[in-house]
Parts: sequence; C-alpha cells; structure tokens
Amino acid sequence: MSIISRNVFKVLLRASPNVAARTIHTTAPNATLADLPDSRVNATLIPGDGVGPELVYAVQEVFKAAGVPVDFESYFFSEVNPTLSAPLEKVAASIAKNRVCLKGILATPDYSHTGELQTLNMKLRNELDLYANVVHVKSLPGVRSRHTNVDCVIIREQTEGEYSALEHETVKGVVECLKIVTAQKSQRIAKFAFDYATKNKRKKVTAVHKANIMKLGDGLFLRSCEAMAKLYPKIEFERMIVDNCTMQMVSNPQQFDVMVTPNLYGNIVDNLASGLVGGAGVVAGASYSADCVVFEPGARHTFSEAVGKNVANPTAMLLCSAKLLNHVNLPGYGEMIRNAVNKVLHDGKVRTKDIGGQSNTQEFTYAVIYNLQPLQKPTQ
Amino acid sequence: MAARILSKRGLDIKLRDLGCNLVALQNKNVVRTAASAAQATLSDFEIQHKQPLVKKTTPIPIALYGGRHAVTMLPGGGIGPELMGYVKQVFKYAGAPVDFELVDIDPKSDETNDLEYAITSIKRNGVCLKGNIETRSESTGVQSRNVAIRNELDLYVNVLHCHSYPGVPARQSNIDIIIIRQNTEGEYAMLEHESVDGVVESMKVVTQSNSERVARFAFEYARRNNRKKVTTIHKANIMKLSDGLFLETSRKIAKEYPDIEHNDMIIDNCCMQLVSNPHQFDVMIMTNLYGTIVSNVVCGLVGGAGLLSGKNYGDHYAMFEPGTRNTGTAIAGKNIANPIAMLSASIDMLDHLGHKQHSELISDALRKTICEEKIHTPDLGGTATSTEVVQRVIDHILQADIRAW
Amino acid sequence: MAATIIRRLTTPRASNARFYSSEIKKCTIIPGDGIGPEISAAVQKIFSVAQVPIEWESVDVTPVRGPDGKFGIPQAAIDSVNRNKIGLKGPLMTPVGKGHRSLNLALRKEFNLYANVRPCRSLEGYKTLYDHVDVVTIRENTEGEYSGIEHEIVDGVVQSIKLITEDASRRVAEFAFQYTKENKRRKLTAVHKANIMRMSDGLFLRCCREMAEKYPDVKFEEKYLDTVCLNMVQDPTQYDVLVMPNLYGDILSDMCAGLVGGLGLTPSGNIGLSGALFESVHGTAPDIAGQDKANPTALLLSAVMMLRYMGLNDHAVKIENACFETIKEAKYLTGDLGGKAKCSEFTNAICEKIGR
Repeated sequence: MSIISRNVFKVLLRASPNVAARTIHTTAPNATLADLPDSRVNATLIPGDGVGPELVYAVQEVFKAAGVPVDFESYFFSEVNPTLSAPLEKVAASIAKNRVCLKGILATPDYSHTGELQTLNMKLRNELDLYANVVHVKSLPGVRSRHTNVDCVIIREQTEGEYSALEHETVKGVVECLKIVTAQKSQRIAKFAFDYATKNKRKKVTAVHKANIMKLGDGLFLRSCEAMAKLYPKIEFERMIVDNCTMQMVSNPQQFDVMVTPNLYGNIVDNLASGLVGGAGVVAGASYSADCVVFEPGARHTFSEAVGKNVANPTAMLLCSAKLLNHVNLPGYGEMIRNAVNKVLHDGKVRTKDIGGQSNTQEFTYAVIYNLQPLQKPTQ
Repeated sequence: MAARILSKRGLDIKLRDLGCNLVALQNKNVVRTAASAAQATLSDFEIQHKQPLVKKTTPIPIALYGGRHAVTMLPGGGIGPELMGYVKQVFKYAGAPVDFELVDIDPKSDETNDLEYAITSIKRNGVCLKGNIETRSESTGVQSRNVAIRNELDLYVNVLHCHSYPGVPARQSNIDIIIIRQNTEGEYAMLEHESVDGVVESMKVVTQSNSERVARFAFEYARRNNRKKVTTIHKANIMKLSDGLFLETSRKIAKEYPDIEHNDMIIDNCCMQLVSNPHQFDVMIMTNLYGTIVSNVVCGLVGGAGLLSGKNYGDHYAMFEPGTRNTGTAIAGKNIANPIAMLSASIDMLDHLGHKQHSELISDALRKTICEEKIHTPDLGGTATSTEVVQRVIDHILQADIRAW
Repeated sequence: MAATIIRRLTTPRASNARFYSSEIKKCTIIPGDGIGPEISAAVQKIFSVAQVPIEWESVDVTPVRGPDGKFGIPQAAIDSVNRNKIGLKGPLMTPVGKGHRSLNLALRKEFNLYANVRPCRSLEGYKTLYDHVDVVTIRENTEGEYSGIEHEIVDGVVQSIKLITEDASRRVAEFAFQYTKENKRRKLTAVHKANIMRMSDGLFLRCCREMAEKYPDVKFEEKYLDTVCLNMVQDPTQYDVLVMPNLYGDILSDMCAGLVGGLGLTPSGNIGLSGALFESVHGTAPDIAGQDKANPTALLLSAVMMLRYMGLNDHAVKIENACFETIKEAKYLTGDLGGKAKCSEFTNAICEKIGR
C-alpha cells in the first residue's frame, strides 16, 4: 500500500507541469527541482512513551507515502524504562547535529529511581537549551469543541522558573521548592515571543504572570516583557494575571493572540488551550533553542492507557511533522500533509475516538495517505 | 558586532575594553537623537554634536531561533525592492535559514516613524540587509536616512572588499583591495551653518576614540585575513589637526601589530596611484569622505557600481548593503539592474551569521554565472536581464548537490 | 402579594424552634467597598425575610494606622470576627501604594484561614458553553508559591521559594476529605505536579494519600495539574471535589468560575483554625457602585455556604433554591447576566420566593 502510493506521488510530483513555472519570470529554466535527486534531510526521532511509538509509526507511514526526503535517526529514550533508554548525551548530540527532532511524549514519573529531582525531559531541555516552547492552538475543521475560531500561540519559558528542580527539606515536614527567574532568560523568551509575533504577522502579545503576589520573581518577568515590548511598537502588548487568564480562556479564548508565560503557567495555559480545541491529540508544539528545534505534541500526555489499542489520534504528531518540514525548507511537503490532515478532519468520515469517531489510528493514517495531494507548486 | 566577529576567531582583543571606555564618554541623551532629528525643538547643531560619540546599548538577545535567523530587510528606493526580491528567491532555493522582516520607509514623508521603526527592528535582529534609502525631503531638519541609521546604530566601520571578477570587462584585473572607512563622523558629521550671510561653515569632526576603533578594526581584519599591509589615507598636510589625529592614531595602533606593514598616503596621491597602479594597495583605512571617493574609484576600476557589496559593523549590529550607495532610480522597473551587488551583500550576511555552507553555495553559483558563463547585465556590457542572471544563479544552486536547509 | 402576606401570617412560626435551639447567632459582616454595601444589604434583606436566626454585626475594615505605624485592620474588626468566629465579607479594594498589605491577605493571615473552598455550579437559566458543571475546588491558602519569600540573589536573578509543609498539607487534606464526606460528594481529586516538583508537591501528595487511608469510603484519585486543565475544559463533569496547593488552586478556581459564568456567580469560603470567613471574590466594580445594578448572587451564595457551615441547612436550602429559581425564571436578571433588572428587583424576587 505504502509503496504504491509513494511511487504514485513521486510520479505526480515530478510530472506536475507547474514545477518549473514557480520562477520569477517567463524564461524556461534549465533545471527543475523534479529532475534533481532529493537532497535528504536528517532528523532525530524520539518515539517516546505511551502511544508515542504508534503515532511516530503513523508519521513514518505518511512520510513514506508522500516521498518526503527525510531520514530519521531513531532513538529509544525513556525515563520509565531506563535500561533500554539511549544515553542522554548521544540523543542530545544527534539533535544538535541534525538540528531538528520529532519527539513523542516522555512519561515523567513522580518519583525517581535514583532520587534525582530532574526529569529526563528537563535534562534534555537543559542540555540543548531548548528554552522556548511554542504551542499553536487552533480550532481544526471538523473537530467538535465548545469554542470555535480559537487561534492563539502560547510561548512558554521552559528552562527555569518552578521547574528548576531545586528542592530541599529544610526541617522534617517542610519542603522548600525554589523558583528561579532571571532577567536574561526572561528577556530572551520575551524577545522570542515578539519576534515570533512579528514573523507570523500577529497583532498582540499577552504576558501572563502573577506579579501581584510574586512581586520580585514574576515582577522581573513582567518587567522584562515590558522592556522588550518597547522595541516592538507595532505589536500590542498586554498583561494578564494567570488566574484571570485561565478564566478568560474558558469564557472568551478568541481574545488571545500570542501569549508569553513563565514555565508553570505556560504548562497550565497550554493544556487548557489544547482542551478548548479538542484535546491532547490534535495540538502540535515545538521547543526551540538558538540552534535546534524539537517538534512534539503541544499537550504532553503519554496516554499510556491506550498503548497497543490502536486508538490514539495521530493528528498532533502529523501536524508536528508538517511543521518540521516547513522548518527544514521543505514547505511543499509540509503543506501537503497539513492539507491532507485537514481534509480528513473536515470530511469527518474517519475520526478517532477522542474527537467523537469510531476509527482507529491506522484507519486515520490511511485516510490521510489517501488524501495526500501533490501541490501545484511543490517548492513554494 | 565587530568585536564579536573578532573575538569569534579567538583573538584576544582590547576592543571590548575600548568600547567600555567609550561608553563612559557618551552623552546620556543621545539614544533618541535620530528619532528626534526632524523635531524643530533640537537644533541641527545639537543633534550633530551628539552623533559622533559612541552610544550605550544594552545587549539584546540575538534573533536566532532553531537555527533560523531573523534579519531586517530595508529595500529602500529605486532598484532596491527588485533586488531584494531576487535575494529572497535565491535564499529560498538555497534553503538559507533566514527569515526577513521587511520594513519599508516612505521616502517622501518627513516623518521619522518608519525610520525609527527600522532602527528598532535592526536593534532587535542585530543584522540588516539594506538597499539605498532615499531622502527626498529638502528640509534641513531631515537628516539623510542612511546616515541616521548608521549613526544611530553606531556602525562605525564600513568594509568594502574590492576585487575583480574574472570575466567581467574592466580596466584593471586582479584587484584585491579592502577599503575600511570610518562611517559615522568626519565630513559627514553634517555640522553646517551659515555664520554670516554668504558664508557657510561645514564642520569635520574627528575623534580619537572613533579613529582608534577603526584603526584597530583594520589591523585585526588584516591579521585575520592574512593581509600584509595597511595604508592610512589622509590629508594631514592640509588638515593638520583633524586628519593629523586620524593619522597619529593609526600609527599608534600600528605599533601594536608589528607583523603588519603600515604606511600612509595623501588622498590626492592615492587616487592617482589607484588608477595607475592599484595593485600596491592591500588594506586601506580612511575617514568618511575619502572613503566615498576611494570606494567609487575602485568600483569603477573593477567594473562598475553593480558588483561590490559593503559591510557595516558596529559593536552590536551589522548591516550589509551594495558597495556603492546609489538608488539607481533611473533604471528601476526596467529589469536591467545588476543583481550581483545585492546578492553578494546577502552572501556577506550569511557569512556573518555563520551559515558558511549556504554562502558558499550562493557565491559558487554567482561565480559560475558571472565569471564562467558570462551572463551579464547591460551595465557590464552584456545583454541579459536581471531576472535572467538570477535565474541562472538559481539553476546553479539547484544543480549543486547540496541543498541543506 | 397579598397572598404572600396572608400566607406568611398563617404559616406557623413554630418551625423556627428547630433551628439552632432558637438561639440567635451573631455574625460579623464586612460590607466592603464599591458595590459591597449594596449587595450586603441585599443579602441581609433576604436573610431577614427567610428569618435566619442571625444577628449581623457590621464592621468596617478600612485600614487604620496601627501603633507600629503600619496600616492594618482595625482592632474592632478583628475582635468581632474572633468573637463570632464567623464572618461574611463583600469585595475589598486593596489601596495602591506602599505600606498597605493586601487586606484580603491580612484577613487571611489574621484568622488563619488555611483552606479556600469554591463550589462552581452551572446555574440554570444562565447559559454558558458548559452545562452541568458541579466542581468544588479546595485550595491550600497559607503557604506554597504565595509564601512571599523572595529575594534577588545577584543582579537579574530572582529566587522565590515555594514552601510546602506537612502540617498545612495534612490540614487541608483532612478538611477536603471531611468536606467530601459531609457533603456526600462522589470523589476527591488531588491536583499536583509531582512529576516535576518531586519533593514539594510530592509531600503534598503524600499527605493526601495518608489521609485517603483514613477515609476509605471517599473515592480518591491523583491527577497532574496539566491533565486536569486539559480535561476540565473538555468535560468538567468528570471532576467533583479537587484539593490542591495554593497557586494551582488560585488558577483552577478562577478557571472553574469561568466555566460557569464568571466570578459574579461563584461563592467562596475560607475555613480557618479560629473561624471561617465567607466572601464574594469578584471585584469592587466602582463603575456601577451605588447605581443599584450589581449582582448579589456571589455574596448570597457565599452566605448560603456560611449557613451550611453553621448547620442551618434548611435555611440554606430555602434561600439557595429561591436564588436559583429566580435566575432560572430569567425575569429579573441583572446586567451582568444579560438582563435589565436592578439589584433591588432581583433581591425582591428572591424574597418573594422565600416568603411563599
């Protein structure tokens, strides 16, 4: 099945008469993209725990069918299964080399075998300095949810704040957990958010904070955002206290555009917003460092109760892969996959259980493959 | 920014210390000067007196996310927008990981909002690709926008690498000269006033600090690029104090670089030597006005205005533009503008951002097109249109096996 | 109307004796700022119509300069609450400026109010995107992220401490289990983030688990904070009572309020060692103050919570039903619920129902 469709699409891609017409003028170019061998892109792949491997398999199937020139370096990486897990250094080195990674969700148990406070996820983030988590929450066609027309981007600092893993028991029965906020990292994330807004032609950035209570810590974050906002006169800036923000989010989510948050609040708002548009299975996210990007589902749930049942929704993972393709300068393929997913969701004939259907993961994946349509302008 | 480039090579340099000292010198109010340039409340004298000094800037995190850089693009007037379009095309096919933030400046308005926004944008992104911006306004209150940008960002040095393209018809061949020009003060301080009726005074400002920065940059540059000789161009026989200071400073710095030969030459002699025997020059440093003259002379020698690209560096920011600063309004929209200068500016920019693979890819393609296949626009005596040249470059890029993202 | 009066006259008063051994209980009321006085008056009126055996003792908490030079709550107010052990409070405005601590915070501290309870229930007649929401959030109120311990270690690096103690965690866990049991709720969910904050949230979780063993008849489960957020907006009916540390509670309780229509409809109670304070958590709305436009529902429902706390369940049910019915009828709705009625009209409608 997959081999046939793969070949069909290759042929279609190449035969497309408009491939050459993408250029800026009428002179016929001497070479077209289709005549050339695909230059292949390497990407690291971490299937993750829970239903991760199933979802990643779905992505690979779709890639094969679409003839996407991406080679995956796959690593098994897990905290709950430390004996089989690839060493952190190796995984980090691979991501640093390839600069892109597609990652499922890692389960984070609430205790550690070795008594460590840092989770594997945190270690990977710190190792690569993946400081900015971007979750684009957008209502999808055909996904039934209470709110419509939600389109917001949540940008979350994820290397400091509450997740600093600095905890200690001062006296018996009293635990102190340190929340660290630094000016440097706050500025960095604020700038990231504004640059993101500029690049994607967004209108407004909302800083989510709790500076009325945590006057120093969140105050520093808020001040950094304010300082950065001055550099972006064309983008509206507003502040919102986190509890009010969650309330506004469930009653009127359309008011939000780009949101920038410290670590923990980001986690909350991410999940909340994902819930608004259909749940953990349909929202794509990405973590950025200066040099590399890890694409992963926006709401981090391993959904381990569904392992092996073939019921998980691969939409989030497929959208992640489309984002990955956009990032590595293969936007034609990215668009192709995104369109196919949207079409399947819109038609509504094939839906997984979490969005009110009866189909299984495999059926959904095949439906996406069936709906892959080569674009008129594959390289635009 | 200059300091950043230099220190990238692991050289222990004193530029930073220097920068710090200079910062201490600066006037607290300078930051907003360009913005308020058009306001009648500030006299020209005030504005200009604040300009030559180094500005204090708080470092802003660089705009590099997931391996992609954000870069400000100022197309400017005339042929600028066309050329920028070509750059975008070429970058797309080369897969250069750069996202442009396009900022248009309306040449007609006297308002400085656009300009202010452009400057802020460069401050955020750190790097800018720029065409030549027109300043149509005749009002004396309105500064040249190009100058305003350079001054506001403190891009104190302009580097023009003049080299011959084999295959391009030119008077001289095998020219390889680096012109390093002080970019923010000197004659371009624009301190002019009519002291009495019919008598206009124009002030030329030379400061030791800025001269020192330029000289040090030049020697570091020479050392890093295995250049042998630095020549200071001046007119100290006439302008004993101002050019004298510039010359003195460069001599002083030269002593710290015994491995590099240093000499000096008077500007008029220099122009003559350039047209008769340009091969004697290696790295040249000079003040602002002489820089304009010399760079245009050398551009003429190697084949015209459309070939060379200039780099502007400050301590924090870098700006890349075509080497000779003219808008080419006359040939705008005719599809005959030479895209080489802007493309090679974009190559410089990729180099600066550290995307060596992409810059080599594009410069190889450019070289093949210009030097081997000799596809030239009319200004080089060819018949090709701009788009034909660009298309050929893109074809070469596509044919090259590497299309890394 | 006449019928009501007649009925009231003919209804035997004897039933009163059942309540609280006919003893009249004193209760402190802090009307608050902005719309506070109007809605407090509305509540008092409704209570008097319902013949609740409560005598109100109104106190003013406008900050006064204490002997130490700092502004604080007047001693009279503190004494009153300490004496009565129970209070009802309207919205307070925290004055902007230095030297003022948030009054809410001060009250919380003064009376050791360790647990904040907020029941969020969908009201029939006021349509939101979510139906059948019936969630109670119980929030630890004294420590955690809001410990107020913060300092700048070096320039540009701020450290704030989240403090979790066994005592406070156990206290709130016990209260949560007791509440769940007494109010015959289905299930108690502990909300935590112990996968990240393994020690601090771990400790909180451990206390909840220990308490779960003492209350085997209460169904107990543990959920990650993010999972709760995700599920809550998708299907709020899967949760019942939630117990959690301070910050999470702050966020989740407001979110739940958002699900049912905002802070104007959600009551709130603070349970402490030395008394309990029930309050409306919405703002002072100075723009509509004094115009008879405010919605007293939140404060009224808070007062109902107070009655339940005092064991006056019959009165509580009566008032609550009257209130819900009035909203359901949608004849007299205030502006925030999309109606045009005045506060007094709304209040009268409720009184009428109680009187029936």
